[in-house]
Formats: sequence, C-alpha cells, structure tokens
Amino acid sequence: MSFMTVTKMLLESFALNCQLFLITLILSLPLGLVVAFGSMSRWKPLSWVSRFFVYIMRSTPLMLQLAIVYYLPGIVWGPAYNLPKMVAASLAFILNYAAYFSEIFRGGIQGVPAGQQEAGQVLGMTRGQIFLRVTLLQVIKRIVPPIGNEVITLVKDTSLANFIMVKEIIMMAKEFGNKAMIWPLFYTGVFFLIFNGVVTLLLSRCEKKLDYFKV
Amino acid sequence: MKKLLALGLSLALTLSLSACGGDAPQDQSKTSDPSAPAAPSDLEYVKDTGTPKIGYTDFAPQDQSKTSEPPAPAAPSDLEYVKDTGTLKIGYTDFAPMNYTNESGEFVGFETEFATAVCEKLALTPEFVEINWDSKTMELESKRIDCIWNGMTITPELQEALAIGDPYIKNYQVVVIRTADADKYKTTADLVEADLQAEAGSAGEAAIQGDENLSKAPYTSVDKQTSALLEVKAGGADACVLDFVLAGAMVGTGNYSDLMVIPDLQLSVEEYGVGFRKGSDIVPLFNKAMQALIDDGTLNQIAVKYDLGELLLANQ
Repeated sequence: MSFMTVTKMLLESFALNCQLFLITLILSLPLGLVVAFGSMSRWKPLSWVSRFFVYIMRSTPLMLQLAIVYYLPGIVWGPAYNLPKMVAASLAFILNYAAYFSEIFRGGIQGVPAGQQEAGQVLGMTRGQIFLRVTLLQVIKRIVPPIGNEVITLVKDTSLANFIMVKEIIMMAKEFGNKAMIWPLFYTGVFFLIFNGVVTLLLSRCEKKLDYFKV
Repeated sequence: MKKLLALGLSLALTLSLSACGGDAPQDQSKTSDPSAPAAPSDLEYVKDTGTPKIGYTDFAPQDQSKTSEPPAPAAPSDLEYVKDTGTLKIGYTDFAPMNYTNESGEFVGFETEFATAVCEKLALTPEFVEINWDSKTMELESKRIDCIWNGMTITPELQEALAIGDPYIKNYQVVVIRTADADKYKTTADLVEADLQAEAGSAGEAAIQGDENLSKAPYTSVDKQTSALLEVKAGGADACVLDFVLAGAMVGTGNYSDLMVIPDLQLSVEEYGVGFRKGSDIVPLFNKAMQALIDDGTLNQIAVKYDLGELLLANQ
C-alpha cells in the first residue's frame, strides 16, 4: 500500500478524532461552567452533588467511564438502550472533561480578590453585574493557560475511544500493523503534532488578545 | 471542604467498626471454652433478650439451578430475540485469514464466508460488528453482538461463560523463530534460555506456561500476536508462540520472510468454536446448519479457499 493511500486512510480515521474533539469541547465547556457554579453554590446539597460528580469523574479512569457508558445500559436495561459508539464516546468525554473544566473555572472565579466584589457592592452593582462586568473578563484571562492544557490533552485522549471500537487513527494504524506495516503507527504522531500545533497557535493568539490589561 | 473531609472520615470509621464486627463469631467460640464457667450461659442470654437473632444472607436457590444446561423456558429465548431482529450480529476482530478486508476493500475471510453461509441456512441477515476482543463477553451480554465468530479457541473458562457450538477447526500453537536460528532451536528443550513472547492472555501464552521447558524460559507478554512477530523479527525476542493459522498466513512471506515455524512442534492442540450467549437456544440450530454445510461440501470449499483445508475438523 502506497504512502498516499495510507495517509488518506489515516486522515479519514483522524476525522473521527477531530469530531470527538469538537463535540467534547463545545459541550463540556458550558457544562463545566454549570458544574463550577454548582460547586460554589451556597445551597449545600447542590454543592455536594456537584463536587461528588467532579470526584467520580476525576477519580476513575476515562477508559472505565467509556466501558460503563458503552456496555452497562445494554446489560442492565437491554439492547434497546445501547448507545451508538460515537454517542457513547462523546458522552463519556463530555462528562469527564466537564469535571476538569469546572475545577479550572472555579479556581479562576474564586481567584478574583473579594475586595473587587465589595467595591462593586459599594457602587450599587447587582451580583450579576459584578460577575459580568468585573469578574468575568479577569477569569477568562486567568483560565486560558490551564484550559489550553486540557484542550491539548483532549486532542490526544480522543484516541482512548478505540477502547469501544471507534475506529480512530491509532486503531486504524494498528490495523495496518496486522497487515505487517509497522510505520503507520509511528506516522500517526505527525497528525497529532500538526493538529496540536494549530491549537497551540490559536491559544497563544487568544492570550495575546487578552494582553491589553493585567490582572 | 472540612465538612466533606469529616463525612469521609466518619464513613471510614463506620466501615472499620463494621469490619471489627466481623470478628465477633470468633469471640463467641472462645466463650464456649470450659475454662471460663463464670460467663452467663448462651441460653440465659437469649432468654434474657427474648428474641433469638437468626443470621442469614440474602441468596436465592435459582442461582444453582442456572448451571444445569437447558435455559429457563420462562425467559424470552435468545432465538426469538434474534429472529425478531432478523439479523445475527457477529462479533469479530480484524484478523486474517478469519475476518479481514482484502486489497480491493472487500470484507472477506473464512469466518466471514462461513458465518454468511450459516446465516443463509438460518434465514437471518449477518451483520458483522467489530469488537474489542478483551471485552467480548460484555459485548455479548449487552447484546451488541449475538455471537463471537472469529477463530475463537475453546477454553474451559469460555465454556463456563458462553454457550459454544460444535468445534469446526482444530488449531495448535507453533513456535516462530528467525530462519537464521533454524539449527539452534529444534525442540522446546533448546528454548529453555531463549527470550519468548506471546500475546497476553492468548492460547500461545497458555502453551508457554503449560510446557515444562518453555515455562522456564524468560517470557514477556505483548498486546497482540503480530507484535510478538515484529519483536522476533527485530531481535527483541528469540521466539514467539502463536496460532498455527496466523503463523501459516504471515510467517515466511512479506515483512516476515526471514521468520520460520519450528517444524513438527505442535503445542497445546486446540479447537475453534462459535460462542453464543450463555444458555442460548441458537446453538443446536447453528450445529445443524454447520453439519449441513459440511455434508454438502460448502464448508470445505470455503476452508480450502483460505488455506485452512487441513485444519478443518471434518477433514481430520
């Protein structure tokens, strides 16, 4: 098989990695924010539930979470409840990453000095106004580097989906290995390097745009 | 956070207390020691409380009856379920010559054609589902697949966990070495100090552990049989133990042309079967359909096409 054929086939399976990456990113960021507010809630039961969710998601392997989402509904409730591979993979990734993102958001929000909120109150601003006009922009600036870290990890983690037979790039490369072709597996590194190169550039542009003020 | 910590600590404390409770029966046996007559008698104690506390665990006798083969007729039968869906979902992994995609992009293989032929006899549509081999029982139980049909070696453990059809192929494990070492390694006794490899949890690994000579050799497990072949080729290992079928298809050709199988050395001779859900009533129908394919020569034709003719149990 020629270099071009292999590249084309690997690229086709890398589309699945990209799909999983985008779906996870788009849905886990807002969910993470919701969980962060839950964790910070002054209503204790909500805060406990949110923190317990974060504890479960961060303390068990993503691979196990994939297996649970993929196999357990079918075993417990029957075949009608089996989720399609990509849906199961997306669900596990979204929940897992939302937990990590929520902690980053919480750190960012709680890291803004309390004095600024007090100043806002003195000026007669509502809590919503204080959050939107005083806290939020500072939070965004603070969390770009740690969020960037998770985003880059996410790109690589999408490969874990092959545990539930999502035929992503690593699984495809291993299939070439079954046909006695060794190099495609190592070649997959190039795809991740290029993708994460673009992600890194975008992140640093983001940071530059937020450079006009200091926190 | 402090509250959470307190909660966790109290939970741990409760657990450790209940663990202590587990020791209680031992203490009671001590009281029956005649050297301590001063203690109040057990009868007096129970009469005092007025209620004898009877220990039990919640367990139903059905669990034991399950081990007797025929499935309970009350449960919806596996056959009915499959007939309802109209398709037989066949679990496989990409593995030549059993199930694989050929150069022109067609999904072929011995098991692919065999399964298609059996499904035709059973009036079912075959649907091939690629599975994670390590999770094959879960794939069956969650009904993502209805059978495992992929050159599956029958083991006592699998017989316990699945309902397996009649064996159709006899396979055995072989030792693959570099052609350059042909004179050095001829029997298992020659391999006592060689670096061996096999797939983790595979029949090859079992063959190494079960052989009195090979079990003494330094051994490394790898994630799949083809990885072991690569290691031997690269010199990272001296020999690997794997399926005769896979070795026959790969060793001596293409990338593995500098490898060879040690001649006349057959380890842990084994048989292939199709695995269904435990207690499945599809098995007798499968066996009948397979026998029909053996009788009319179809199975042999398929086997010969994939160079498995001599492995077919019906031909042995």
